Amino acid sequence: MIVSGSRLRQMGWLAVLMICVGLYLALSFRVHAVKSEVLLAEREIVALERETLVLETEFQTRASQRQLANWNTVEFGYEAPRPDQYFESERQLASLGLPQAPGAPNPIRVARADANAPAQDREMVSPITGQPITLASATVEKEPVTDFAEAFGDMLIEASPIRAAQARTGAPASVTAGDSAE
Amino acid sequence: MTAYAARPAIPAGRIRLVNLRYRSLLTARWRVLWIALIFSLVAAAAVLRIAYLGFAGHAPSKSSLAEQLLPPRGEITDRNGLPLARAFPAYALWYAPTAMGDGGSPLVRSPQDVATDLKAIFPEISESETAERLASGRPGYLRRRVLPEDANQVQSIGEIALQIPRETDRHYPQGSMASHVLGYVAADDHGRVGMEAVLDKQLRDPALRSEPVPLSIDMRVQGALEDELRRGMLATNAIGAAGIVLDVDTGEVMGLASLPEFDPNKIDEEGAKNMMNRVTNQVYELGSTFKPLTIAAGIDAGVIRDFSKVWNARPVKIGKRILADFEDKGAGLNIPQALAYSSNTVTMRVADQLGAENLRRVLMELGMHERPYIELPARGMPLWPGEKWSRITNMTVSYGHGLSVTPLHLASAYAAMVNGGIWRPATLHKLEAGDAPRGKRVFKASTSSRMRQLLRMISMYGTGRSADADGYRVGGKTGSAEKVYRGRYSKTKLISSFAAAFPMDRPRYVIVTVLDEPRGTMASSFQRTAAFNAAPIVGRLVPRIGPILGVRPDSTRDVDISDLRFLVEGRK
Repeated sequence: MIVSGSRLRQMGWLAVLMICVGLYLALSFRVHAVKSEVLLAEREIVALERETLVLETEFQTRASQRQLANWNTVEFGYEAPRPDQYFESERQLASLGLPQAPGAPNPIRVARADANAPAQDREMVSPITGQPITLASATVEKEPVTDFAEAFGDMLIEASPIRAAQARTGAPASVTAGDSAE
Repeated sequence: MTAYAARPAIPAGRIRLVNLRYRSLLTARWRVLWIALIFSLVAAAAVLRIAYLGFAGHAPSKSSLAEQLLPPRGEITDRNGLPLARAFPAYALWYAPTAMGDGGSPLVRSPQDVATDLKAIFPEISESETAERLASGRPGYLRRRVLPEDANQVQSIGEIALQIPRETDRHYPQGSMASHVLGYVAADDHGRVGMEAVLDKQLRDPALRSEPVPLSIDMRVQGALEDELRRGMLATNAIGAAGIVLDVDTGEVMGLASLPEFDPNKIDEEGAKNMMNRVTNQVYELGSTFKPLTIAAGIDAGVIRDFSKVWNARPVKIGKRILADFEDKGAGLNIPQALAYSSNTVTMRVADQLGAENLRRVLMELGMHERPYIELPARGMPLWPGEKWSRITNMTVSYGHGLSVTPLHLASAYAAMVNGGIWRPATLHKLEAGDAPRGKRVFKASTSSRMRQLLRMISMYGTGRSADADGYRVGGKTGSAEKVYRGRYSKTKLISSFAAAFPMDRPRYVIVTVLDEPRGTMASSFQRTAAFNAAPIVGRLVPRIGPILGVRPDSTRDVDISDLRFLVEGRK
């Protein structure tokens, strides 16, 4: 029993040794594999860097200052900016909106709806389909601001690729102004 | 008992066994000892190896990548990082007859067939010569440079003896632009002419060459400068042109052009003739552009205190010689008028009062007696009139004759005149903010601010009107000097120049343009003087480079000339 026990122990040690050797081999294979992967990646990096260099240089050669100047003379005709194309400050920009002389019309005009015109005269058509948009305000007396908001909302709905169900503002008479401004 | 007594005290078999056990133990101990020794040796070796790697060794895989990406010669860029010169992989076509290695024929097919194939790829080669070359069996270049797509086609011929070695070229993506600043790399791998020669050591050093070297040049400014100079040169049929744009506060050169130029990508005899740098190497008598320097020296020394004082403008007689103005300007002129109409006589009289020693000292402080301060190896020695100046030397130097300097000298002097009076050496290295040299004071700050007014008035009322770009507050002085030809002043050959600074209310940049022997053409209204050729170049150049350099055109700003304005306008 004792002899066989020591033999068993020896075999056990041997097995452990074999496993260790096996693990060591596997590990070193793995290390080598990773190493060669790294090497390949490095080679790829070098190749790509060189390609970048070549392409970049080619681009810069083709887009050299002289070439650009020649194209500009023949083709584009860009010129240096004039002093009146620059603004000193926001104040100078805002001054463009002031009337040129006392009593002169405002140089910047804002589009707005005429609130006094009769409702029938301003029949709106959809810019997409060309169909007239029936406004809810045709039947219900409402504020001009809400009219505009509704009309604008309709236009947005028309233009939108996603159609919400029952979104049309003017269709049912029961829809209130608050609901329609979607 | 007897039986016990008869037996020996220890049986022989047991002795043997004990002996055996003892010897086995000994062997085992020895083995353990050996193994321990081997293990400790291995451990010691490993520790030593680790220590060695830690101290002396370097990771091999890491350095290989860096090494492979390290350019064989460092890159040169402009101030914004745009590459101006770089090492560029190129292909050559090399014939290696021994590549087959079997001692037989170097080619698989007949030389004639291979030559036909090569002719199809490179139509300009001679088929019979190539066939002869292949048949002769001598190794050598068939072509020095091959395009990548042509290289692929050569590979597909399938001849092992046709090799495509990868070589590195020095490539200048901008072509001939800034060629005098950059220079080129000769066949011995050393730089020549420009910054390639100056930075040769740094560009070749393995520890430094991975980092590109930025120059002070701005490629867009350089492009515009060369473009406008070339246009001006061609329009006036001039034999050459030179131009420089200099930062007045740091001395950085934003653009430096000398035309005609050479192509650093292809050095041939034609290009070698144009390698002389007209900005830093060629000296010229720059004429009237010196007058503001004389006037500044006069203001600085207190000779000119009252700008409304009328100076005698009649011709100056010295001994037998009579020196007069180009055109008669009347009996008397004040200082702003004298500069605006470029009067030699008034400038001479100012210099005469100032004294030769004073003018000489100021010009020496501006570095006019030595080679210009810049990194380039090509720096011309001025023709300096020497130690003791006679009265006539003093007078002629005051309006830019009898003293030959490079355009760079003039640009540095103008920078000192308008920046508050501090002279700084010009540099082609990009300077970080705060790195500008301290420089030395040449003019008083008050003199400098007067000169800004006067220079601005020249381009508002005088000869520099064609340079007055709208909104950029350009101020500058024209100069047209007769060229010395065979020891005498030539009546037909001129050097016309314009030295300017902008914007005059707070000068940022100095521009000097020089045209060599311009002719009177339709473009210059059949005139040869600087007001018709060198000044309009500046007038076109400033709007192109101003916004790039951060100078915004503004019609509502200008240097305040209200105290001098009436002195010129009153006459008109």
